[in-house]
Amino acid sequence: MLRILRLAIAALTLLGLAGPASAAKEREVSIGLQAAITSMDPHYHNLSPNNSMMLHVFEPLIKRDANQKLVPGLAASWKAVDDLTWEFKLRKNVRFHDGSPLTADDVVFTLKRVPNVPNSPSSFATFTKPIVDVKVVDPHTLIFKTATPHVLLPSDLASVMIVSKLHGEKAATEDYNSGKAAIGTGPYKLAEYVPNQRVVLKANYGYWGGEEPWDKITFKILTNPAARVAALLSGDVQMIETVPTADIARLGKDPKYNVVDKVSNRVIYVHLNQSTDKAPPFVTDKSGKPLEKNPFRDARVRKALSVGVNRDVIVDRVMEKKAVAAAQLLPDFFYGTSKKLKPAKYDLEGAKKLLAEAGYPNGFALTIHGPNNRYINDDKVAQAVAQFYSRIGIDAKVETMPSSVYFTRASKLEFGYMILGWGTESGEQGSSLRSLLATFNRERGMGVTNRGRYSNPAFDKVLETALVTMDDKKREALIQQAAEMAMNDTALIPLHYEVSTWATTKGFDYTARTDQYTLAMGLKPRK
Amino acid sequence: MAGLVLLVAILVVGVLAPVISPQNPYDLAQLDVMDSKLAPGEKSPDGRTYWLGTDDQGRDMLSGIFYGLRISLGVGIASTVFALAIGLVFGLVAAYFGGWVDTLVMRIVDIQLSFPAILIALVLLAVLGQGVDKIVVALVTVQWAYYARTVRSSALVERQKEYIEAARVLALGQARVVFRHLLPNCLPPLIVVATVQVAHAIALEATLSFLGLGLPITEPSLGLLISNGFQYMLSGKYWISFYPGLALLLTIMAINLVADQLRDILNPRLRK
Repeated sequence: MLRILRLAIAALTLLGLAGPASAAKEREVSIGLQAAITSMDPHYHNLSPNNSMMLHVFEPLIKRDANQKLVPGLAASWKAVDDLTWEFKLRKNVRFHDGSPLTADDVVFTLKRVPNVPNSPSSFATFTKPIVDVKVVDPHTLIFKTATPHVLLPSDLASVMIVSKLHGEKAATEDYNSGKAAIGTGPYKLAEYVPNQRVVLKANYGYWGGEEPWDKITFKILTNPAARVAALLSGDVQMIETVPTADIARLGKDPKYNVVDKVSNRVIYVHLNQSTDKAPPFVTDKSGKPLEKNPFRDARVRKALSVGVNRDVIVDRVMEKKAVAAAQLLPDFFYGTSKKLKPAKYDLEGAKKLLAEAGYPNGFALTIHGPNNRYINDDKVAQAVAQFYSRIGIDAKVETMPSSVYFTRASKLEFGYMILGWGTESGEQGSSLRSLLATFNRERGMGVTNRGRYSNPAFDKVLETALVTMDDKKREALIQQAAEMAMNDTALIPLHYEVSTWATTKGFDYTARTDQYTLAMGLKPRK
Repeated sequence: MAGLVLLVAILVVGVLAPVISPQNPYDLAQLDVMDSKLAPGEKSPDGRTYWLGTDDQGRDMLSGIFYGLRISLGVGIASTVFALAIGLVFGLVAAYFGGWVDTLVMRIVDIQLSFPAILIALVLLAVLGQGVDKIVVALVTVQWAYYARTVRSSALVERQKEYIEAARVLALGQARVVFRHLLPNCLPPLIVVATVQVAHAIALEATLSFLGLGLPITEPSLGLLISNGFQYMLSGKYWISFYPGLALLLTIMAINLVADQLRDILNPRLRK
């Protein structure tokens, strides 16, 4: 009996020690991710978790730093020769994982491959489409031609990973997933990819940018927030992304852990469906009868719905302070944002008055639709907004659903009031205004994600002028003007900017990023 | 006895929920997100005391639990009654007529029982959408087979007895023989099964709500309350999950205790 007891104690001690002991193995690190990586083909699925993972194995011509400023990547330098011509110079010392050198041919091959990936659920072609002609001057110099002045070309190319022509020519998406074709120039090599479970990377010792501090990195997919925290607490992983807001305070106080955060480029906002003359779906009078007019076409109603939401309370109570009240589509330290725009102040009486002026003295009824697994506390935000609306006389129901269902239905305009999020990868407001608020026109690439179908010719004109203005200062002034026009008209309702959070065990430092990417390159051992 | 007292108390709370709750937890206008996540017994800024604390939307947990019990009991009882009625008819018909009717009904029952109940319910709710009525439909679908099987086995025994033969000899209508003579004598085991199944239905409803299917998030039942609080467990805000869990536990335990006693009372072998 005593022996069994002793054995049990020994076993327990071993179990207890096993976690930290294996974690302490130097130069190996595990990281818990929030979302699955759907493919290791860098041109298959334009999705933040994928794009973040790709940056370890592949590299674009131009990279973005932690604040999304453009910095040289595989291109050592670039410049606009004239309004329609760009010259890119490649680095000369870059080799792929197999030792073959990077040349202009690989870039040409990449640009050809991007629009032709079969079954791509979300293509990268938008980034390469503006380039109508490529000329190879020498193995390390390229000339790109565009049909119209395209200011955002460098920013677009920061989203396009360069692949090897040698390995990519006959490769399909499956060959990248298996690792056969996943030969990039990045600081890490792909060792193993198990969908929905893990991605294992090994160091690329010949990396042109110098050696990274880790030999092996295991990214574990831990979609459940509580499981992610539990994995960190148990020592199973040394870093997690998107710490649940409920646990931030606790981890922050514990000396065994570090929490870092940074306001992100992601705005959580509301699109009001203005596509119909009569009331859009799920918007009725209080007895459930349809409304004659679409209330969202009235700027006074839109404004009432904006000032009727107390953003400070959402930030303070629902987001536990890990969010910033929003006034536009990007926090105001980004390019093209206006310092004149301030978050709408909560005004209960003002909202009621605006509704009465617009002809709805008794309010109306609507259903708030939103995802329940995409953004931080998304379903809780929806409920809190509904609470505020009940106070200005609007009967608000809430229906949330998994993002896989939600976004498809929202794009078909099946809802009236939609809570959505938008991360501006380019880090400048012009592109988000163009996607979210320009008059919907798919052929011209304008308003492609404008699910509210807001349309304002005066705004369109200013924005379109901005998009073809090559001078940075002049362009910024025009984008700011467009942003002010849209926001003062409540074209959409910005709620808050997400604050991204990462937690590590003691002994690590992570450089927080505005684009919410979790990059092993930002993780360093603390000295 | 303790079980019965507890069950009656829970039933009273469920029925009277709108009267005795300090707040209507489903009326968004009565919630204040400023009062969210208050600990049990803590006073809110406007001076109200929440005895069991509040959840992440500022919902009074006590009211939430009362209303939640109301939904749980309602769903449990309604689905049991409908499932019982359907299972009863099919079971009796199968046993009384025998032959191919019996084979057909019992094979359907076999197929149904070979799938896990939770799986069928999940698929049904994914197709049907949200609402109390839809949960009841899903629960009836997964439960009627148990009753059909129980009724059939006891009806098979009863069918051989002389009083049924006597009724037939009198040339009574088949419906009359089945429902007036056969049915009452098959009931005792069924009552026990039904009581246990109420508890089972409540647990299943809580599971479905926990998984986010069934009821809208603004009208949480016990399962959804537990699920909402789950993510606050690690940060020490235990009450959002704990008290609804306790309420669920007590309810199911009370029903099972009563079912146990019923079984003893209705079992002739234990009668002295």
